[in-house]
Amino acid sequence: MDVSSQARWENLLWAAGTAIFIVVGSILVGCAAKRVARWRGLSASEQRKVYWGFLFAAPWIIGFVIFVLGPALASLYYSFTDYKLGKPMTWAGLDNYRELLLGQGAQGRRFSQAMFNSFYYMAVGVPLQIVTALGMAMLLNNQMRGIRIFRLIFYLPVILAGGPAALLAWRYMFAGNGGFVNVTLQNIAGSFFLFDWIYRAFIFTVEAINSLYAGIAEGSPIGPFKYAVPALIGALMLLSLVRGEWTPSKRARAWLVAELVGATLIILLAARALVADPLDPGLLLGIGALAALGALLADYRGENRRYRLWTLIPPLLAALTLAAVFVLGGETERSLYIPALLAAAAPVALVLVARAPAHRRFILGGGAALLIGFIILRLIPGQLDGGRLSILPQYLTLQSAIVQPDNLDYLKTEFAATTPAALWLYGLVALVLGGLAVANNRYPRAARTVALVALAAFSLFAVSAIVDGVRYFQAYDQIAQATGQPNYHFSQFRTATATWPDKNRVPLWMTNELWAKPSLILITMWSSGAGMLIFLAALKGVPRTFYEAAEVDGANRWQKFWKITLPMISPAMFYNIVIGIIAALQTFDTIYILRTPQTEDDLASAAFFLFNRTFRQLEIGQGAAVSWILAVIIVLLTVLQFRYNKWVYYEA
Amino acid sequence: MATVSGNAQLSAPPQVAQPNLFLRFVRAVDARALILYAILLAASLFFLFPMAWMAGTSLKTVEEVGQPQLNLLPANPQWNNYAKLLQEDTFYRAYTNSVFVVSVVLVGTVTSIALVAYAFSRLEWKGRGVVFALMMGTLMLPAQATLVPQYVLFHNLGWIRTFNPITIPGFFAGGAALIFLVRQFMLSIPRELDEAAMIDGANPLQIWWYVIMPLSRPAIATITVFLFVGQWNNLINPLIYLQRAELFTMPIYVAQKNNLQESPIPWQDIMAASVLFIIPVLVIFILTQRYFVEGITMTGTKG
Repeated sequence: MDVSSQARWENLLWAAGTAIFIVVGSILVGCAAKRVARWRGLSASEQRKVYWGFLFAAPWIIGFVIFVLGPALASLYYSFTDYKLGKPMTWAGLDNYRELLLGQGAQGRRFSQAMFNSFYYMAVGVPLQIVTALGMAMLLNNQMRGIRIFRLIFYLPVILAGGPAALLAWRYMFAGNGGFVNVTLQNIAGSFFLFDWIYRAFIFTVEAINSLYAGIAEGSPIGPFKYAVPALIGALMLLSLVRGEWTPSKRARAWLVAELVGATLIILLAARALVADPLDPGLLLGIGALAALGALLADYRGENRRYRLWTLIPPLLAALTLAAVFVLGGETERSLYIPALLAAAAPVALVLVARAPAHRRFILGGGAALLIGFIILRLIPGQLDGGRLSILPQYLTLQSAIVQPDNLDYLKTEFAATTPAALWLYGLVALVLGGLAVANNRYPRAARTVALVALAAFSLFAVSAIVDGVRYFQAYDQIAQATGQPNYHFSQFRTATATWPDKNRVPLWMTNELWAKPSLILITMWSSGAGMLIFLAALKGVPRTFYEAAEVDGANRWQKFWKITLPMISPAMFYNIVIGIIAALQTFDTIYILRTPQTEDDLASAAFFLFNRTFRQLEIGQGAAVSWILAVIIVLLTVLQFRYNKWVYYEA
Repeated sequence: MATVSGNAQLSAPPQVAQPNLFLRFVRAVDARALILYAILLAASLFFLFPMAWMAGTSLKTVEEVGQPQLNLLPANPQWNNYAKLLQEDTFYRAYTNSVFVVSVVLVGTVTSIALVAYAFSRLEWKGRGVVFALMMGTLMLPAQATLVPQYVLFHNLGWIRTFNPITIPGFFAGGAALIFLVRQFMLSIPRELDEAAMIDGANPLQIWWYVIMPLSRPAIATITVFLFVGQWNNLINPLIYLQRAELFTMPIYVAQKNNLQESPIPWQDIMAASVLFIIPVLVIFILTQRYFVEGITMTGTKG
């Protein structure tokens, strides 16, 4: 008997054994449940019901204990060890998390890159997928002959994209030289000069965007650009808010952005603070200050639930830190419990502040925030003081913050701004927006002036940071060329920004780091039919009378789409976004099939990194840590989305 | 909007003189519908093209495949590519392995899901709410959280390089979303049926088998189809656990064919294997597409 049929027989035997095990186990679970029911004094008929109910649900309950609960707890334990299959396990404390969350070492860097890739799939891929799905659904939402066949065709890719066959077909079509896609594109481009321009502009745009992203994602020093991104976000937000009257929806929008930015910062800071070695008091205090501000704002707006949530954060975190320090830490870490207590004390102080009359609260709160900021500045030299903080005033006066550098070390050391330094600027954005939203209740004109000033400031930051960023890259390039040091990442950036593609350039799709992610996203757009079906069902549920009423009022197509269709299908939209984001973090099959040796790291998602670490290199301990980080992120994202789903309209 | 012919009837005005044939044709065709059909056809081309290209490539020669080209179909189709593949031992083994694994998983999973869904929909028992909430909570838990320790568990059981890690977990009603789907369906069956059976002296097991199961056929069919497609395409679990050429299922076989360091890459063979791989899924999908539509909209809009 050959190996595979022997394996099949064995498997059938195991299956039969499992069936018996489940039947026996179910009866035992049922009896146990009945015993408990009797012990709790339920009537005889209730006991019988409990018996049958648990008997039928037992397959799932047993499976849950064996395959979910037990393994989940085990993996939590593994994640604190250096477990490697076949070797003895030793306790490693927070080492795995430290390496991953702080991006230390080769694997830590790989992990941060994988997280950035996942974020790319989330931020670029999911919106494109949703637009495609919605477009398809709206096309299909017409009563025409044969529409069912089109629906079938549109959905077909979903079935096939789950397996390797269709993905391999795409891979073949994407081949760099002589692949179907490139040959077609070149033929079209060659047929008419205008198409050629469009074709080259397309190549240029994709490469420019992706090279900038690659710069940020690979953690290479990207210098002043680090300040440009938050400044631009702030400027854009303010630009959309300063014009005209502050309607309640505008205020809500400002508040929402401020809260989202604040929450994200807290999560990032908390993750780093918990694993930093030694424990970083500045991060903890930053969290305390941010949460205190959040609590103050929520209280000011009379939102009790939010207020309570925000005030809960620092004590919780402080307790966690204290526990971690005492269980895992050494002497140096133990001495750091004071900052943890301070972080916890900030919101407690604010509770007292909140009892003061309303008009004094804001002043007191602002004073408290300033005080906390001052403590941070005093406590942690290097985090905010000196050169890094002086960048901002320099940018405000449109001065350059970089001196003409003469070696690579200057650029690397002087401008290797650590992540928290850029995070403070995000904090500033949140602070300005939140403050404006509050101030607008009472002093709309003053608020508008503040908004205009802040807008000007953010614009100056952005302009200066971009100018300096370009200068920085030029200097980097010149020095790299002069000294002959290889600078792979930077040369990528230069080709993409400096050169307009010449006539015979083709996109290299799966084999080029700048094209790998866009190709993957194209394929996910091709298979976005599942979202389409959800949208289609939602579109069918929009009452025709709404449109008719709007037509009577003289609404055009565009207005009908924005004011009726979108709000009415927002639950479907919400569902698709949640599912899409979770799927983006877990992308695996497409990457496994489409990767090439050159682009494996550029494609790897968090799930793919997990697979690599655990099943190729058998590093169970670190794999478990990755899986827990991933699980926490997914749960957090889902919770955040459910919390900020005010835009979703549910019919009563 | 009315259908094309319907519109023609509506738009035909009470005429004095009969216009010529061309004008009548122009009037009969709804311009909007024409544009829509054009867009729909263009989109269909985008969605179907990779499959067409796959089928076309599978009939080409090695030389043709290596060249830049736009021909969908070769001058003389090489049916030989398929014949070669079908005679291959490894292909036959991978295919039968896949069929075997999928059937075992389907039997185990569908049965257990039907049982559990019955407990959550038709039976009233203390503790149901808690257990059900727990089950829905596992929907939030990402698969990654348990992937690693499950591997350790199966490793300790000595199940690596066997089919067990892929087939056995299914027997424990894997997949909260599918349980939910069946439960929703079972909730819509009238209560009186169980009560009548109960009065006749049937126990819950008999009610499940004789009353509920026959009525739940559409839901059972839906999850069967979902499970079939998911399992047939499943790459990651076989990849992690099988680790042995004799046990490989079709997804790994196809993926491996691409990883062999052959030059030039034998795309015609890969695509021929791909065509044979997707045929069962295609057939099932076309026969049962109604269930897909219902299943997805059900989990999506009510979940």
